[in-house]
Amino acid sequence: MKLFIIAFKNLKRKKTRSVLTIGGVAIAVAVLVSLLGFNAGYQIALNNDVDKMGYQVLVTAKGCPYEAATLMLKGGGGLRFMEEEVFDRIVQDERIDKITPQLINTVFDADKDGGGGFTMFMGIEKSYLTLKPWTEFKEGEWFSDENADEVIIGYEAAELEQRRAGDKIFIPGIDKVLTVSGIFERTGTQDDGVIMLPLKTAQRIFDLEKKLTGIGIKLKDMTELPAFEEDLYDEASIQVISMAQVKGTIMNLISTAQILVTSVAFIAIIVAIFGVVNTILMSVFERTQEIGVMKAIGASKLDVFSLIWYETILICGLGGIVGSIIAILAGNSVEFFVKKLLPYAPEGNLVHITSGLLLLSLVGAIVLGLVSGIYPAYRASSMRPIEAIRSGE
Amino acid sequence: MKTNSILIGLMALCIFSNALFGATGCTLNDPDRDVLRMFPKSTGYKTDFIRLKEHGGEVTVKEIEEKLKGPVDPTYESIDVPYAYYTILKGKEPIGRIHGLNQKGTFGGMQLIVATDLNGKILHFYYQKISSPAARKFKQKDFTKQFVGLTLEDFYINKLKPGSEKDKIGKITSPTTDHADDFKNTLRGLMKNLIQLDIIHLNRHYDTVYKKLKGE
Repeated sequence: MKLFIIAFKNLKRKKTRSVLTIGGVAIAVAVLVSLLGFNAGYQIALNNDVDKMGYQVLVTAKGCPYEAATLMLKGGGGLRFMEEEVFDRIVQDERIDKITPQLINTVFDADKDGGGGFTMFMGIEKSYLTLKPWTEFKEGEWFSDENADEVIIGYEAAELEQRRAGDKIFIPGIDKVLTVSGIFERTGTQDDGVIMLPLKTAQRIFDLEKKLTGIGIKLKDMTELPAFEEDLYDEASIQVISMAQVKGTIMNLISTAQILVTSVAFIAIIVAIFGVVNTILMSVFERTQEIGVMKAIGASKLDVFSLIWYETILICGLGGIVGSIIAILAGNSVEFFVKKLLPYAPEGNLVHITSGLLLLSLVGAIVLGLVSGIYPAYRASSMRPIEAIRSGE
Repeated sequence: MKTNSILIGLMALCIFSNALFGATGCTLNDPDRDVLRMFPKSTGYKTDFIRLKEHGGEVTVKEIEEKLKGPVDPTYESIDVPYAYYTILKGKEPIGRIHGLNQKGTFGGMQLIVATDLNGKILHFYYQKISSPAARKFKQKDFTKQFVGLTLEDFYINKLKPGSEKDKIGKITSPTTDHADDFKNTLRGLMKNLIQLDIIHLNRHYDTVYKKLKGE
C-alpha cells in the first residue's frame, strides 16, 4: 500500500505529463468501449427491428433488386407484382403458422416536399395484425369491410397529415378521397409512416386486380425454414427472402465499417501503450539517482519493480475510468453520428454500454498497464545503486 | 452468390426504409434555396426551434384560442410542437423572418410558409405542402400574392370586425368553391402563425390593436 501511495505521489510530481498520458489511454478506451457498445447495440436494435416485422420469410415478385431498392428508398415507380394465385398456393402449406398478403403501391404527389415526391400505400388484410399482435389503435378501428374506401394511418403519417379517425384523405394522381377509419399507435417500425387500406380496395383503386407485391410468412416450427425456403424456390415468379438472411446481410454491410473503426481503435491502443512506456521510461531515467538512493538504503529489486509497475497501472487504470466515463457521456453523440453515416440504422439505442463492458474495459486497461510497465520497471529494478547515484554527478 | 447478397442487402434496406415520411415539423424543405428565393439580398440566416411551452405553455395556448376564436388541437398543436423560426440576416443585421406552420386541412396536412419583415408584415406566402383535389388552385400565385402586405392587424379586423371597410381579408375569395373549407383552414393557419410570431418575436406588438378592436 505504501508503494502504491508513493507511486501516486510520483505521478503527481509531473502533473501535465501524467494527465496527457492518462488522456491518451482514456481516448483509446473510450473508442474501444463505444465500438464494442455499438457492436452489441446494433445487433440488439437490428434483431428488434426484424422481429417487429412479425414474419420470418418475405416472398416478393422476381425483379431487378436495384429497381426495387430504388423504388423503396426513393419512392420511384417500377414495382414488380406477383399474381394472387401464388398466395393461394403457398397458403395451403401446413408448415405455415401465419401468413399475410400485401400490395404496396406508390403515388406521385406533385405537392410533396416542394419538388414533388412519392407517397406509399399498402393494401393489407386482417391477417396482417395476427403477425403483429402488438399493434394497437391510437384511435378508430379496423376497416368497416374488406372493400371499404378507408385507410388506417401509421402514427407518423397521421402526425404529418394531421389526421384523426373520421377525417378524409386525398390520394393525388388518382384523385381519390378515402376516409380514415383508424390510426395505429407508434410501433417504432416502418409501419409508422405508411398509409394502409384494405387489400381489395388497393387492388381496385390502383387498378391492380389480383396482384400482390409481397407475402409475409411465419412458420409453426423455425427448424422447417430451410426446407420451406427450398420448396418456394421452385416457384418461378417469386423470390424468397428470409429475415435471417436480411439480418446477416445487414451485419455484413456494417462489418466493413466496423473493421475500419476497430483498426483505428487498435492503433489508438498501440499509440497509448507506446505513450505509457515512453512516459514511465522518461520518469525512470529522470529519477535514476533517486532510484539509486532507494536501493542504497535498502529497497529491493522487487520494491523498485513494483513501484514503477504501480505507476503504469495507475496511469492505465485512471485512463480506463476516464475513458469509460467519456464513452458513457458521448454515447448519444456517437449514436447521432452513426445514424447519420450508416445507410440503414435500426430504431432504438445503437450504442449499448453495459456494466460488464465497462468492467471488461477497465480490466483491459489495467492489463495494458501491466504489460506496458514491464520494461520500464525492469530497467529501473536492474540499476546498480552506485552507478545510478553517480550518473547525476 | 455475390449478386444474391447484394439483392438481400438492398431488399433489407427497402424493407426497413422509413424514409417515405419524415418527422412532423415545419422546417423549410431546402432552407438555403428557399431563404434566397424570398430574401435575395440575404447573406445568411439563423434557425431557432421554439416550443410554446417555453413561452407560457398552456396559458399561451388559451390566449391563441381566444384570439383565433376557435380551439387548438391538443394532439397536433400541443405546447411541445417545435416551430422553426428562420431569422434572415444581411451581414449581421436581421432583415426579416420566415416561419412555417402545419395546419390541418380537409384532406391532409397543409404546410403554410410565411416570410415577414421585422414588424410582422407578410412579404411572401406559399404552401409548402397541401393535400387537396384543388391543391393547384390554392398554390396559384394569383391567390397567394393577395396575402402580401397583410399583418396580424388585418386578421384581427377580419375576426372582430368582419365586413368592415378595413377588412382586407374579407375581400380575398377562395380560389375554389368545391373545397372552400381549405380556404378557411388557410386563413386560420396564417392567423395562428402570425399570432405565434407576435408572441414569440414581436413582444405582443399587435395586442394594442387587438384590445382596441375588442373594445377593451
